[in-house]
Amino acid sequence: MNRRRRMLKDLEQDIRDHIAIETQENIERGMSPDEARSSALRKFGNVVRVREETWEVWSFTWLEQFFTDVCFAVRALRKNPGFTIVAVLTLALGIGANTAIFSVVQGVVLAPLPYPQPDRLLMVMESRPGLNQTGISYPDFQDWQKSSRSFAQMAALTSRSYDLTAPGTSEHLEGMEVTSGFFNTLGVKLARGQEFSPSEDRPHGAETVVISDRLWRERFASNPEVLGRALTLDGVDYTIIGIVPPNFRIWSDVDVYTSLAQDEPLLYSDRTIHSIVSIARMKPDVSMGQAQGELAVVQANLDLLYPAADRNLGINIEPLKQSIVGDAGETLLLLLGAVGIVLLIACTNVANLTLARSAARTREFAIRSALGASRVRMMRQVLTESTLLALIGGLLGLIFAVLGVRLLLAKFPDALPRSENIHLDIPVLLFTFGISLVVGILFGLAPALDGSRVDVQSSLKTGERGTTRAHPRAQGILVMIQMALTVVLLVGSGLLLRTILQLWDVNPGFDRQHVITFKVGLSPSLTMTAASTRTAYRQLVGRIREIPGVQAVDFTNVVPLSEHNNTGPFWVGAQQSTAMQDAPHALYFETGPEYLQVLHIPLLRGRFFASTDDSDSEPVVVIDSVLAHTYFQDKDPVGRLITVAHWRTARVIGVVGHVKHWGLGDDGTRSPNQIYISFYQLSDEWVPAFARDLSLTIRTPLDAAAIMPAIKNVVYGTGKDQPVYDVQTMQQIAADSMASQRLSMILLGAFAALALMLASVGIYGVLSYSVSLRIQEIGIRMAVGADRHHVLKMIIGQGLRLAITGLVIGAGAALLLTRLLSAYSRLLYGVRANDPVTFIAVSLVLVFVSILACYLPAQRASRVEPIAALKYE
Amino acid sequence: MTFYWEVAILLPRMSTKEHNERIELLQGTLDLLILRTLLLGPTHGHAIAKMIEFNSAEVLQVEQGSLYPALHRLIKRGWISAEEGTSENNRRAKFYRLTAKGRRQLVVETSKWDKLAGAIARILRPVEQESK
Repeated sequence: MNRRRRMLKDLEQDIRDHIAIETQENIERGMSPDEARSSALRKFGNVVRVREETWEVWSFTWLEQFFTDVCFAVRALRKNPGFTIVAVLTLALGIGANTAIFSVVQGVVLAPLPYPQPDRLLMVMESRPGLNQTGISYPDFQDWQKSSRSFAQMAALTSRSYDLTAPGTSEHLEGMEVTSGFFNTLGVKLARGQEFSPSEDRPHGAETVVISDRLWRERFASNPEVLGRALTLDGVDYTIIGIVPPNFRIWSDVDVYTSLAQDEPLLYSDRTIHSIVSIARMKPDVSMGQAQGELAVVQANLDLLYPAADRNLGINIEPLKQSIVGDAGETLLLLLGAVGIVLLIACTNVANLTLARSAARTREFAIRSALGASRVRMMRQVLTESTLLALIGGLLGLIFAVLGVRLLLAKFPDALPRSENIHLDIPVLLFTFGISLVVGILFGLAPALDGSRVDVQSSLKTGERGTTRAHPRAQGILVMIQMALTVVLLVGSGLLLRTILQLWDVNPGFDRQHVITFKVGLSPSLTMTAASTRTAYRQLVGRIREIPGVQAVDFTNVVPLSEHNNTGPFWVGAQQSTAMQDAPHALYFETGPEYLQVLHIPLLRGRFFASTDDSDSEPVVVIDSVLAHTYFQDKDPVGRLITVAHWRTARVIGVVGHVKHWGLGDDGTRSPNQIYISFYQLSDEWVPAFARDLSLTIRTPLDAAAIMPAIKNVVYGTGKDQPVYDVQTMQQIAADSMASQRLSMILLGAFAALALMLASVGIYGVLSYSVSLRIQEIGIRMAVGADRHHVLKMIIGQGLRLAITGLVIGAGAALLLTRLLSAYSRLLYGVRANDPVTFIAVSLVLVFVSILACYLPAQRASRVEPIAALKYE
Repeated sequence: MTFYWEVAILLPRMSTKEHNERIELLQGTLDLLILRTLLLGPTHGHAIAKMIEFNSAEVLQVEQGSLYPALHRLIKRGWISAEEGTSENNRRAKFYRLTAKGRRQLVVETSKWDKLAGAIARILRPVEQESK
C-alpha cells in the first residue's frame, strides 16, 4: 500500500520532468517557450489518462471493477423496480422451496447420526418365514452377546410407558427399557451420572432410572443435586442415577430409561417372546457383511439348541440410521426432484424477463460498446446483475424456507423421523448460496451472451425506442419447457390427491365417525393384583358408560390404524401342531365385551364376548372373516378350537368383520388374521403387561372437547394420580395413518401450484412482450379489415399453441415418471400411473389457466387503434 | 499493409472493438521495447521515449505518456526498478534500471516476438509478392 502511494507521488514528478525536458529540447530547437511547451504536451498525450492508467496498474483492478459492477447493477435494478420485484420474488420462491426441502433432506437423510463413528452402528433384529424383520427374544439376545465376536458392544431395548406420580402432579411418560451399556454402545456420554451397570440389569436388581433433560428441568428445576433422588413410576420408587444430554433422541421423545431385564420376567425369560430390538456397535475392522455372517452362524446354532423356539429364525441387520430414517428418504428425494423442477421453471421465467429486458437495453449496450467497453467486460456486467438478483432472491428464499419448514414441522410433527435434526446449518447455507450462484449464472448467461454481441452501428441507427430485437423463438421454447415441467408436477400431485381421496373412501371395516380413544393410567393402588386390575377396569368402563352422551364404551389393547403391533402364533385345533415360527400368525386384540358396539364392527356369526366370559368360564375367542375363510373355508368355525401361543386353547364363539389395521391402504399381506380375546379372561401373569397398553374407546356424537371434561372428572374421582392422555378421535388416527402421503401431497400440490403460477406469469409475460412488438402489424391487420374478435383469437391462439405443445411434451414425460413413482414407491394407492382422470383434469386446468394468462395481452392487442399503431414509429 | 500493422501496435488505446481485442499484444510489445532499451543501461522516462523513436528511425511514434503506465506495470512485475538520479543536463530525474528478472524476461519476450514476427512474415510475404 505504501509502495503504491510512493510510486504514484513519484509519477507526478516524472511527468513534470518529462514535459520539462521535452520543452527544453524544443526551445533548443528554436521554438518559443509557449510553443515548445504546448508541443511537448501534445506529444505526451492525455496526462489525465496516463495518470489513470498508471493508477490502474497499482490498484486492485479486478476488485474495484467488481464493486463498480455491483454498484451499477444495484442502480440498474433500482431503476426498474417492477422487473426487480418480480424477478426477486420468483427466484425467492424457487430457491426458498429448494432450501426448505434440502434442509429437510440434509437433516433427515444426509446428516450422519450425532454419535461417534455413526457408520459403525447397526440395528439387529430377527426374521422369520414371511416376515423379514421381527423383534428378538431376550434369551436369544443374551446368547448373541456371549457368542459373537464382531461387535464392540451390543444393547437391547424396548419401549415402555410409565405413569409418573411423584414428585409433582401425575403425568404419563414415554419411556424405554434398555440393557446396560445402551448409552455406551451409542457413544453417548450422559450429562450427569452413570448409565445402568450389569448388576442393575437383572431380575430384582436395584430400581434405577435415567431421566431426560426435559424432566430434569421441569420436575427438578435443573437441580444439580438430583442424582440419588427418587422418581415414582407406576407406584414404584426409582432412584435417579443419570441425566441424558439435552436433545438426545433416537426414534421419538423419551423421558425415562429403566433397565430392561429386571422388569416382567415373563417377557424376558421366554425364548418365544420377541418383544425387544437390539443395537450394536461393530468393531473397527469388521464389515457389515462379516457381522451379518457371523451372527447368522450364532443364530443357526441356537436353531439347533432350541428347535422349539428358534427353528427357522434368521438375522436381520441394517445400519442404525437406515432403521431410523426408514422410507422417508425416498419420499424426500421425490420432493427434492419436484422442487428442482419448480426452480427450473423459476429460472426460465427470470431468463425470459431478462431476455425481454436485454432486448430493451440493446441501445445501452451499443453505447457502452462504442465508448470502449469490451465484450468480456459487458458480459461480466450482465452476469453481475443476474447474480446479484439471484443472491437477493436466495436471501429472501432463505427466510421463506425457514418459515416454511417451521410451519410444516408444526403441522406434521410426526410425519418425518429425525425432525429434531432439521435446522439451518452450514451445508444448508452453502446449498442455498450455491444454487443462488448457479441460478444467477444460468439465467444470466443467455442474455449475457446475447447482450454483449451487439452490432454497434445498426443498434445505434435503428429505432429510438431501443426495442429492436426480439427473441420470440427462444422465449417460446422457454415457455413450452415451463408448461411441460408444470404438467409433470401437476400430474404427480394429482395422482397423490387421488390416492388420498381413494384412501379416505376405503372402508376400514369399522365406523370411524364419532369414536374417541384415550388412555388412563390407573392408580397403582388399584392394580396391585390381576383380580383388582380387572375390577378396576370393569368399574372404570361402567362409570364412563353413565356419562350422558356416551353411547358405548370399552377398551382394546390395539387401536386399529394406530400401528400398534401385537402379533403372535396360533394353531387351529387343540394343540401346538408345529414349531412357533412355522405357525400362522395373527394380530391379537384384547378387548372388553362392548368393543364391537363402539367401533361398529359387524358381527358375522355367533356372538361376541359377554360379561359372563371371565377367568372362571371356558376360554373363548372371536376370529375375523379372513382367518375364518383361510382356515375353516366353508365350514362354520363357531364351536371349533384354536390354540393361542403363550395362552391356552380356546373355543371360537363368533366371527367378525376384518379390520384394516396396518393403514387404510393395507393390502392384507402383513398379519392378515385377527383374533379377539376377552381381557377379563387373560391369565393373571399377563394382566399387568396388557393392562399397560389398554386404550379406552367411546362412541359419542359429541366433540372430544365437549365430552372429555366429564370423562376426566370420572377418572379423577377414583384417584387424582390417574393421568388421562393420548386423546384422539378415530378420524385423527385414520388421517395420521396417511401422514406420509398427506405430507407428500400437500408439498407436491403446493409446488405444482407454484409452478402453475410461475408458468402462467411466464406465458403472460412473453405474450405481452410479443404483442408490444407486433402493435404495428396488428394495426395493419385491423386497417385492412381484421376485427377485434379476430385479433383476440389470433393472440390467444399464439399462446395456446405454446401451452398445448408444452402440455403434450409434459404429459409424455409425466407418463414415464409416474410409472417410476408407482413402481418404486408405495405412495400411490388405488390409482394407476396413467390415471386418465388425473391427466384430463390436469390438461383442463392447464388450458384454462393458459387462456386466462393469454387473455389480458390479447385484449390489449384487440384494443389497438389502427391509426395510433401506424403512427407508433 | 505492414505500416498499418505497426501503427496499430503502438496505439494501445484505440477504442474500437477490433483493436481492443489485441490489447494484450500491444502492451506486451511496448514492454518489450522498454526492456530492450534499458538493456543499454539505466535511464529516465523521456530518454526511453526518445531512444525508441530514434532507434526505429522514427517510424514508431510512441505517444510518450503511454510509456508511464507501461513502466509502472514493469516495476510491479519486478522486471525493472526505479531509482533517483541526475539526467545529462543535471536535472533530478527518476532512473529506470533493468533487474535480473527483467533481463531473463527480455530473452523470453524476444524469442516470443521473433516467433510471432516470423509467423506473421510468413503469412504476409505471399501478399507482398502478389502485389508486386
